[in-house]
Amino acid sequence: MSVSNLSFLCPTITSYARNYWEGLKKRKLKAQKCNKCGEVFFPPRARCPKCLGKQISWVELSGRGELYSWSEIHIPPLALEKPYVLGIIDLKEKVGRIITRIDAGPEDLKVGMEMKINYVDVEENLTLCTFKPVACSTRKSSHSNSKQKRVKERLSQRT
Amino acid sequence: MPRRVAVVGYGCVNIGNYPETSEDELASDVLCLALENAGISKEDVNGLITTPNLKNTLMDSGLQASIIAEQMRIAPTSMAEISCGGVAAGLAIKHAMNEIMLGYIDVAICYGAERERSMRERLAAQLLGQPPRGPEFLDPTAQPFTGFGIIWAYACSGRRYMHEFGADEEHFAMASVRNRKNAAHNPWAAFKEPIGVEDVLNSATLCSPIKLLDSCASLDGAAAVILASEERAKKITDTRVYVKAVGEYHDNSCCVPTDRCDKSLTTFVAAREAAKEAFRRAKLKPSDIDVAEIYAPFSPQELILPEDLGWFEKGEMIKAIEDGSTEIGGRIPINTDGGLLSRGHPSMVTPFYETINIVRQLRNEAGKLQVDKAETGLMHCEGGTVNNCIVFIFQRGD
Repeated sequence: MSVSNLSFLCPTITSYARNYWEGLKKRKLKAQKCNKCGEVFFPPRARCPKCLGKQISWVELSGRGELYSWSEIHIPPLALEKPYVLGIIDLKEKVGRIITRIDAGPEDLKVGMEMKINYVDVEENLTLCTFKPVACSTRKSSHSNSKQKRVKERLSQRT
Repeated sequence: MPRRVAVVGYGCVNIGNYPETSEDELASDVLCLALENAGISKEDVNGLITTPNLKNTLMDSGLQASIIAEQMRIAPTSMAEISCGGVAAGLAIKHAMNEIMLGYIDVAICYGAERERSMRERLAAQLLGQPPRGPEFLDPTAQPFTGFGIIWAYACSGRRYMHEFGADEEHFAMASVRNRKNAAHNPWAAFKEPIGVEDVLNSATLCSPIKLLDSCASLDGAAAVILASEERAKKITDTRVYVKAVGEYHDNSCCVPTDRCDKSLTTFVAAREAAKEAFRRAKLKPSDIDVAEIYAPFSPQELILPEDLGWFEKGEMIKAIEDGSTEIGGRIPINTDGGLLSRGHPSMVTPFYETINIVRQLRNEAGKLQVDKAETGLMHCEGGTVNNCIVFIFQRGD
């Protein structure tokens, strides 16, 4: 397995969420389903948030969603390089949201656009997911365009 | 009838940097200032309520107030250290109010002292020799690419507001400019140099669309307010500002919830519901408010929150920030002391500073910032990403 040099912060991996992280490794985005009341929920929890049942199975999601909003981060925490785009994705199944890195630059993004998942092996035993626009080509993000340019674009859009 | 509760005194230090002054010293300073302002002695105090001090290693055990009680030889019959994110200081006031209303105590000091430097020290210690970890207050699925703060969430809120209502970054900038203009006359504000919309737009991008001058600065500060029962307040002062009502609401989410898609970042349900509850209890309506303090850590929320609190319909703040409706002399003057953006933001203390500004306005002590005939004021504070809100309505009275 080749490991990406994408920088990231270590997530806390709880025992009840192991299947989620294992799923990412196998290129599957998984949610939980309560055996008692049938509620499908995300992210992983120790109990069903609806009926508080503990008998839980796992279901696979489509890995598609909609871009609720995004921000280009210029002041990342220590371990992350700048700038990068962070987005909030409403999952297609409407069970929840993923907040993660977006593999695209601001110029390619529009609130409400359709997004799809991308899996990244960051360590031997850890795979993370990022999202990118469905319509976007697979090119690596190269969005170090200057702020002046964007301000200019924005102003010209207004007129 | 429950007892009425009034604010009878306050004290605070200038917000800024206190590298050499410890939190306990800052705390005792503002307690003394507040006692002096109220004209009472420490023997009159029987409630001592504080918010977390972010440096002290005793933080987690909640012994801050004990330290101050010892250092100042105050023997309270009601004591608490209240931690609950950004609303902690608001909750401290609410707790003191409840204790007085229930008759357990007559006079309470609520206070907080915070140093940004100490937060950095804490973080540095946590990081030493360990691989960097994601922020633990977020769900693990969100940890790998988010920072320690939640500015990104407020940035996404601003971006979404632009999308839904057609706001431009200029509108956010106008809120920063309004706050800065007011801060020039606030003795405690950290940032007083005038700025214009262009300055805000050209300042460094932090998390787009939020730029440096759209942002609050985490700074050091300490402040205290004294509450008293109506009976005691009448002996203490002739200008009494009563806590008319409080509303509180939590939207059962933490920051940007990942377990559902229904939390809007452009309509903050917690702010809306807390305000509704406060107005219902006070038997007042938004138009009865003469002056307001809102807890907006970044400029986009300076537009969103006044809509949720009831003064404007959704999207209307775009026009209101252009036409001066929220300036002193406008329809509803907001953050007349500079707000979080220009006053500076020691988060565990900020709601005390907000309360102090409202009390000064209602006592007609605000000088150049005075809102004409201000009798009723609103103070809003929030925690997380506006997940929980407390709204206070204060009113000058007999």
